[in-house]
This record gives sequence, structure tokens and C-alpha cells, in this order.
Amino acid sequence: MMEWAWLIPSLPAIAFALMVVLRRWLPNWGAILATGSMAVSFALFFFVFADWFGEKSFPGDYTFIYSIDWLRAGDAVLTWGMWIDPITLTMLGLVTAAALGIQVYSWGYMAHEPRFTWFFAVHSLFAASMLALVMADNLLLLYIAWELVGICSYLLIGFFYDRRSAAEAAKKAFITTRVGDVGLLIGILLLFVETGTFELSAIFAALANGELSEGVVTGAALLMLMGAIGKSAQFPFHVWLPDAMEGPTPVSALVHSATMVVAGVFLVARVFPFFEASDTASLVLLCLGAVTALGAAAMALVMTDIKRVLAYSTLTDLAFMMLALGAGSVTAGMFHLLLHGFAKATLFLGAGSISHGSEQTDIRQMGGLRRRMPLTALAFGIGALSLGGLPPFGGFFSKDEVTLAVFHGQQFGWVFFIVALTVGFMKALYMGRVFFSAFLGKLKPENEHAHESGPSMLAPMLVFTTLGAVGGLLAFGWTDGYGGFGYFVFAGDHQEGFHLNWGIAGASTVLAVAGFGIAWLAYVTGSLRTEGIIARVRPVHTLVANKFYVDEVYQWTIDTVVLTLGNAIAWVDRALVNDVGVNGPGSATSWSGSKLRVVQSGKLYSYALGMVLGFLALAVAWWVAQ
Amino acid sequence: MELYHVELLSAALFAIGVYGVLARRNAVMVLMAVELMLNAATINAVAYAAFLDPGRLVGQVITVFIITVAAAEVGLAMAIILRLYRVRATANVDEADEMKG
Repeated sequence: MMEWAWLIPSLPAIAFALMVVLRRWLPNWGAILATGSMAVSFALFFFVFADWFGEKSFPGDYTFIYSIDWLRAGDAVLTWGMWIDPITLTMLGLVTAAALGIQVYSWGYMAHEPRFTWFFAVHSLFAASMLALVMADNLLLLYIAWELVGICSYLLIGFFYDRRSAAEAAKKAFITTRVGDVGLLIGILLLFVETGTFELSAIFAALANGELSEGVVTGAALLMLMGAIGKSAQFPFHVWLPDAMEGPTPVSALVHSATMVVAGVFLVARVFPFFEASDTASLVLLCLGAVTALGAAAMALVMTDIKRVLAYSTLTDLAFMMLALGAGSVTAGMFHLLLHGFAKATLFLGAGSISHGSEQTDIRQMGGLRRRMPLTALAFGIGALSLGGLPPFGGFFSKDEVTLAVFHGQQFGWVFFIVALTVGFMKALYMGRVFFSAFLGKLKPENEHAHESGPSMLAPMLVFTTLGAVGGLLAFGWTDGYGGFGYFVFAGDHQEGFHLNWGIAGASTVLAVAGFGIAWLAYVTGSLRTEGIIARVRPVHTLVANKFYVDEVYQWTIDTVVLTLGNAIAWVDRALVNDVGVNGPGSATSWSGSKLRVVQSGKLYSYALGMVLGFLALAVAWWVAQ
Repeated sequence: MELYHVELLSAALFAIGVYGVLARRNAVMVLMAVELMLNAATINAVAYAAFLDPGRLVGQVITVFIITVAAAEVGLAMAIILRLYRVRATANVDEADEMKG
């Protein structure tokens, strides 16, 4: 069965191709191709999963590799194959489940959109490229899929391309991630130059045998990290993600939960041996994670658009995963990725349900919506509590794993541990804020008409809610062959079961409860006046509310540095390359032709005279030379 | 008869040919002048062969080739001149100057 795992990404890709080619002849329910192929892929995942466990011995590592030659160029053989290990399986499950659920949701949410079929087609390709990315057994294939993910996110963020802001956001997302992708490509080529292959197994073997020098290892790790932080929207490439909210909400749900942004985290987990081998790269990873986590959590606290709050909370959680990876724990990083994916899908589908049912996106205009949409409120509430890290929901377990991993980290563990605890508190605070101010309190008169969404939207939302709520149970070893997430996904020989450090778990729980409590006081009872607090820290609030002016700095850099340089280069191109280099020979030929044309008189005797004189000149020259 | 006598003859013939090509306007006359120049060349070839390398017939063979080619050339040139005359009603080469730049 595992040999057939390539069907999992192929089916949605074929659906995409069919839908694009047959778009004119397909009726509107042509989108069934997309959802149907996704459902088959989801079912296939279980077969592959079961098969993998059948071949694996416990406890231990097992990677199924199946590859075929693609093309040969000299000594280099490019292959095309699959790499199925626990990280791949986790991602396959998450991506197929999220894509399927979100497509079902979109049947309701996108029902009135023109270009309904196009949406499903690109959605399919998006999922297909992400699935190919997580299964790739060589860096070249991974890079191809990586770029496909990028172009699909461009198409989907810019789905409402007739709206200028959406078109701009799509461009911003594409260009920002491209900057990181260049780093990734250079990193991949560096490894190819050093090892002569793109295959992960060969590269890891070279790394393990010490064939790569320390500088190459660190350089490759940092370059690949550059691609990862571009896709995962970590500082300083975080600017595109909040703007990506311009896409339809189901797109945001997919982008934030399972595809695109987690691709960066996945990449770091995939090439984790490089980060294990390089302390510098790990430290850079930790620092970027810490900076992003703190900054994004602060921004999530002051944003008022519900989707923007969720976007910054995604940044925070991605930074959390990066922290875990930087501290050396693939287990914690992937576990948080999985549970965050479920919770974030819930929250985004809930936010979509709110804007579908009440046309509100600003949390200050909401309030009391639980009276009109109780099931959305339930789902969103559980998602928020889970992501805020309250036991016994899934998010608590993964957050605890991350905090523990950071605490045991090799480099400056306690610094990043404090960051993780602080961010944990802030996560609870902003999750409480967004949930309480949207669903609790008084119903505003303009929201009287708000209504609950239809079953096709509620069903996937509630499924993700359930998964997010009970997902924490995956941490424990329920069966002998599984042994808990720590025995399933791990790097090297770090496999270990889930264990609770009561001190850390207690502290983080207290902080989470405090966060939700403060949010309750501020946004439900109103006994804590937020205006007063904001007035007291006005400069800080302005700074954070303006997103630390990072966008402005980038804009300034582009306007002055990039454009000045660009104009200079454009001048060189126009004046030197074009006018002199290209037009020069052309105009010289034309000019000399216009001068020489008088020679061509058309008279026979003038040609004959020319021949005679030329002959005489040659004769004289010969005679002189003698 | 020395070699230079023959050389003088061929030089005179060639000069007359050059003059004819440059000064004549009628295409038939120009063609005849070209033939004179060719004949000057063949006289040179035969003379040098006979005086400088008597045992072999290289110059004579070349002369036969030149005569053959000249005959073919005359056929071709006369055809061109006939066409020119049919089209322009004149064989004056000065008036056939369509190709001027």
C-alpha cells in the first residue's frame, strides 16, 4: 500500500488539472471533483498509516523510501520519490483532514461566489503541493512543491483580485516569501555542490559521516532557515501573513492550519539533523522564534479585526514551534504544529462563520453573538481555550511540551523558557479577549439579524473542535505499537514518552488562567478599564498598534534604497547596454550604409573602372612589396 | 620572336579590351571587349608555356578551357542582352541602372 502513497498528492493535482481544463463544460458542482479527490486522499492516508505501523518495529525509527530515477545528467542522478516517516505521516494526516474539512466548509461559505469552481481547483492544487512537499524524498522535489505552495497561496490570497488591497496582499505574500525562497534555493544548491545529490538520505548520511565541513553545515542550515522563516512568516518576514487575510476565510483557515505557514516549520523538522549539528543555526532559530513570539503576541493583543488577531496568534504559535525546534525537540514542535492546526482551523472557520452570519469582522462591533450562533460560539470557545493553553484541551499539552523542551534546551534555556512562559500568558489573554468580546456580553442592535451558519459549515468546524479538544490524548501511549507522540515523532535517539513536569505545567496553567481571568475582567464584567491601561502606556500601544512600524521601514527601504539602486541599474541598462551595446552596431551599420550607397551607381562602366583601379592598386601594392 | 613581343601583343590587346569595356555603351561592344581581354590572357598562357616550359602543354590546356568557358559565357551574355533589348528597346548599358543604391 505504501508504494501507492504517491496517489495522495496526485489525486488532488489531477482534480485541479481536470477542473481547469474542463471548467467551461463543468457545471457548478464540478467542485465535487476537488472534494471527492480530497476525500479519497484522506482515506488513503489511513491505509498508508496502518501500513507504516505494520512495517515498523517498536520502539524505533522507520523511514519508508521509494524513489525512481527521473533524469541523469553526467554523474548526477535526479530522483523522484517518497519519504514516509513519522513527520510525513503527521503532516499527511493534518493536511488531508484540514483540506477536506475546509473544502466541505467552503461549499457553504463560497456558495454565492462567482469563480466557485476556480476556488476549489486552486484549493486542490494547494493541498496537493503541500502533500507533495511533505512526502518529497529529495530537496529538489521539495523545492518544486515549495514553490507550488507559494504560487497557490498567491492565487488564493488574491482570489478577490478585483479588489486592490487583495491584489496587493497577494503580491506582498508572494514577494516576501520569494526572498526567503532564494535563501532556500542557495542552501539546496550548496548541499548539492558539496554532496553531489539532492537526496535527503544521502545528504544526511554525508552529514553523519562528517563529510561536510562545519561552515557548510551552518551555512546550509541558515540558508534553509531563511526559506523556512519566509514561508512561516517569522520575523523579519512576518509582514505578509496579516495582510494575507484579504483572501477568503477558508483560505486563511487552510493557510494558517495546515499548509503554507507550517511548511517552514516542517522544513526545519525535515532537515533537523543540520540544526542538531550546528549550534549557531539553532541559536538563530531560537532568537528569531523568541522575537517573533513576543512581538506577534503583543500585536495580537491590540488588533481589533478578528482575523488579524488570529493571524498574529498564528505567528506566535509558529514561533513557539520554532522555539521547540531550536531547543532541539522535534517532538514538541511537530506536536504543537498538529494541535495548533486543529485549533486554528476551528478558530478560522468560526471567524468565517461570524462574518458569514453577521457581516462583522471587527471584534468591537460584535458581542453577545452566542445568542444568535450558539454552535459557532461553542466551537470557537473550545478552540480559544485550547490555543490559550487551558487543560484539558489539546493546546495545553502541546504548549507544555514546547515549554518543557525550551526549558531543557541546551543554549540559554532559561531565557527562552521565560519568553515561552510570558508568551503563554499573552496567548491566553488575547484568546480570551477575542472570544469574550465576540461572543459574550450584550448583543448589539445592529447584530440582531445575525444567524447561525448552515450544516455544511458547522460540521467541519465541530469536527476540528473535537480534534483540537481531545488531540492532547495523542501525547500518551495508548497502544503498544504507538507509545505516545514522543515515541512516534522524534529526532535521532531522543524518543521518550510524555511526562508532565508538575512545576512547569502548574506555572503555565496558572498563567493561562490568569490570562483568561484578566480578559474576563476586562471584556465581560468591564471591571478592568482597558482605556485606562492603554492611556498609561500610550507610546507603547501606538508602537504595537502600528505593528512596530516594520511595514513602514520596509516601505522606506523599498522607496529609497531599492528604487534608487534600481534606477541606477536601469540607467546603465538603458544607456550602456541598450543604446551603446545593442543599438550601437545597428545604427553604425545603418549610417555607413547611407554614406556608401552613392558608390552603387548602377552604371556598368563605374563598376568596371572600380575593378580596373582595384587591380592596378593590387599590382602596385604587390610591386612595392617586392 | 622573343617572349616580350608576345607580351606586348597581349598587353595591347588587354588595354584595348579595358578601353572597350569602359568606353563603349552598347552591351554587344562591351561583351566583345571582354572577349578581347580573355584572348589577351590566353595568348599570355600559350606564350609562357611555349617559351618557359616547352616540354609540357599546361598553357595550351588552360587555353582550351578558357575558350570553352568564354563560349558558354558568350551564350549566356547574349541571352541577357537580348532580354534587355526586348524589355528596354535598347542595348545601352548606361540605361540599365535599376540596381543603383
